[in-house]
Amino acid sequence: MIKIQVRRLSSVLSLIALSGCIAARAASLPDLWKERVKSVVAIDYFTELENERRPTTAYGVAIDRQGTVILPSAAVDPRVSPKQLKQFKAYLPGDSSGFDAVYLGQDSFTGWHFVRVEPRLAAQLTPVTTWAAPDKSPVPALAEEIWGIGLRNKDEDFTPYLLESHVALVQALPQQIGIAQQEVAGPGLPVFNRDGVFIGLAASSFGQTFLQFSQAERGGTPIMLVDLEESCAFSLASEVLPYLGRVPGNVYGRPLAWLGAYGLESMDRDVASFLKLSDRSGAVVSEVLEESPAEKAGMKDRDVIVAIDGKPLPRFRPDRVVTDYVEREIERRKPGDSIGLTVLRGTERVELKATLGDEPKLIREAERKYFDRLGFTAREFVYGDAVARRIRIRAAAGVVVAYVKPNSPAAVAGFEQEDWIKEIDGKPVRSFAEGAARLSSLETDSLRTEFVLLVGRGSDTAIIRVKLR
Amino acid sequence: MGPLGMPLCILALLTAVICMATPGTARAAGMGRSFNRLLNSVVRIDVREVNFEDGGKRLESSIGSGVILSADGLVLTNAHVVGPRAVEITVTLASLENVGAKLVGWDHWTDLALLRLDMAEIGRRKLAFAHAEFGDSDKLYAGETVYAVGTPFGLTRTVTRGIISNTSQYFEADRGVEGYETGMFNTWLQTDAAINPGNSGGPLVTEDGKVVGITSRAYMGANNLGFAIPANTAKSVLADLVSNGAVTRSYIGIVPRPLQDLEGFYSLALDTGMLIDSVDPGSPGDKAGLRGGDILLAVDDRPVDGRFPEQLPAILSLIASHPVGANLNLSVKRGADTIQVTVVTERLESSMGEEWAFDRWGLSVRKVSRIYAREHQLADDTGVIVIGVQPGFPADVAGLQPGDIVTTINRHPVDSLDILKTAHAAYVRKPEPTLLEAERDRRVSLFILKP
Repeated sequence: MIKIQVRRLSSVLSLIALSGCIAARAASLPDLWKERVKSVVAIDYFTELENERRPTTAYGVAIDRQGTVILPSAAVDPRVSPKQLKQFKAYLPGDSSGFDAVYLGQDSFTGWHFVRVEPRLAAQLTPVTTWAAPDKSPVPALAEEIWGIGLRNKDEDFTPYLLESHVALVQALPQQIGIAQQEVAGPGLPVFNRDGVFIGLAASSFGQTFLQFSQAERGGTPIMLVDLEESCAFSLASEVLPYLGRVPGNVYGRPLAWLGAYGLESMDRDVASFLKLSDRSGAVVSEVLEESPAEKAGMKDRDVIVAIDGKPLPRFRPDRVVTDYVEREIERRKPGDSIGLTVLRGTERVELKATLGDEPKLIREAERKYFDRLGFTAREFVYGDAVARRIRIRAAAGVVVAYVKPNSPAAVAGFEQEDWIKEIDGKPVRSFAEGAARLSSLETDSLRTEFVLLVGRGSDTAIIRVKLR
Repeated sequence: MGPLGMPLCILALLTAVICMATPGTARAAGMGRSFNRLLNSVVRIDVREVNFEDGGKRLESSIGSGVILSADGLVLTNAHVVGPRAVEITVTLASLENVGAKLVGWDHWTDLALLRLDMAEIGRRKLAFAHAEFGDSDKLYAGETVYAVGTPFGLTRTVTRGIISNTSQYFEADRGVEGYETGMFNTWLQTDAAINPGNSGGPLVTEDGKVVGITSRAYMGANNLGFAIPANTAKSVLADLVSNGAVTRSYIGIVPRPLQDLEGFYSLALDTGMLIDSVDPGSPGDKAGLRGGDILLAVDDRPVDGRFPEQLPAILSLIASHPVGANLNLSVKRGADTIQVTVVTERLESSMGEEWAFDRWGLSVRKVSRIYAREHQLADDTGVIVIGVQPGFPADVAGLQPGDIVTTINRHPVDSLDILKTAHAAYVRKPEPTLLEAERDRRVSLFILKP
């Protein structure tokens, strides 16, 4: 690890030296750097779980004078409830003093997490929009020279450093993504052209496949490596600037546009041409969810979506990108908006009109309560739980085990995460509130020595006896 | 699932050096002519069976043991030695002569299979054999001396000695016999007589040469933990296989669990009732309203006692012994109440479906059975499960993987293997792109098989 850091630092130094030799243009790179580095911050926060506090660091870019910062979607674990995210701090590059920050939520369309830093820090930041091209954002040309900012780790005070590369490829995935020859910025940090114009925001890096050889595995095992600190992929400015206003109104990013077509799957060339879609594509709907806008619009399981609002689904390279395209078409709309869908059902073409809804409560929004003596967390049974267990949403009751504390009474009794508690001491659990109340009284009743639960696991049930002493 | 013993048949055929030997003579105290007769009834069984697992049909060889139980050439062995996939069965008699045999029937639930020697061939070649007799396995006691006879690793008839370690051990396995369920309806004899791969299907006998068990499995890597099907179970299975070629059992879909230590919670007297852990969705028990957490007290007024695991097979056997379609009156305790529930039994089926391979596609499949569909919460039993693809063949090129469930072909539902066989035959005659729809972890994709 140390070796790698040394190597990177030395390559950074050589790049800086190299850039110094380049003949001066309108503005020298050192001058451009000095101004543009004021647009970036490092953010850290804690994820508070039942038995640990896990620190996370991410990089962000300032988008306005109010101190709004956007972080890439990978900056926060999607399984974690926003209520478990604590103590956001923001740091200037190269400065160890932290400023307070507040988490605003995630935008479902762009995937960005929004954070607002305290005014004291906001005043020192330059919005990245300052560096935008005056009218239309330029699409970088192949082989064009580009550069960006990287930030070192917290123990090095997030010291900024220069990364420089050339454009290798621009591809629709389905957003316009630039791919540089090598790492060009830290994920979430901006990329500029040689004139200092903002041309994109670094995304999470692509995984690269390597073969790993060892004495035990002489054949070589393919492994995928992902660089978490630097990236060579970036969303073009045209995919960033128009959406900076999508600041969530709440931490859950509500409202969330919802169609209820579950398990979209792409198709390869052979399938598309068999279905006579020529140079276009389609997406198979695996299941139409119960009581969803898709169901109300008359969509059926296994329909193949071939057009949205009359516009055929384009062919992407790779083919699988088409499902992201459909999802983005839904997410860019709002609940209440209508969406026209042309589907293939067998050999028949059917036109559907759906009115998007607001997505039912998600697992990360579910209410939860931790019982330390019993040794587990119970959470509310939500729509997604009914889907996962293939039961009617109206039949949903009980609570779900969200966490089992190691070596606790619950763990010893054989409790597993995702167990669905249907009965406590032989009596059905009707709601989260009722279940939590009954578990609380077990938790505080020091005379109780044991209790018995009926849990659902897959298509089976099991009786679990928890001994409290 | 209970502890899992390993079936003992040898898959790769070992080159066994068979020395010339004459039928041996037992001289040990207490062992006389009847033991010699038993020795002469034990046979080696060589099986060639078809295997569909790699995207094609392949023949595999294996060896096991068996025991001749009648003058008309009935041979009892294990279901994991000989099953319906066997295409060639060769029996080596005590005289070392080989003779062909046919499968009469099998019962994977008890891991038993019944063969009949080719009596015409035996008559023609004037071959002789002895046959053994059953003893009463209920009279066995722990510590009693027993002998395991068989052909471990293909070695010519081998006798090993041990004692009965336990007279009624419990274990069951969902995929225990060639992927089929086993062990729910019987307990097992446990012995420390040395049992090795190839012993499978051979008899476990007492000193008087009576067959008290059929050796079935052992814990590999453990020291002398062997298991056998009790003779009294084997007797009744044999009778059913002789008369019907199969054992018919009734099923109501309850998953039992020993009550052990939970009597207090359910306010039950000791040695009363059996806990229902789970009820299979869509099963007769489910339709009749049984639920996990119910206590089964009696079946048709016969009280049940499921306090310990080894007591469960007897209860399931009691239910299974009723005719298919019969009304069972169950007394069930639910909370403080005792209720009467009437359940209409179904025929017990395996979750394993029929297998087949489509050579030109490089695709081998297993039919989705009614039980499989139920266990995996599928809407119905439409479809086949991909169990193998051959690299470079159309199914592999299209992206199909083991575990995928193919539900339609050229937009026709795959409700039988015949639909696929017909389509494959058409493809062989005239290869044309063929559209498959398949499900993987509930996600549906389309695939093209192309020449």
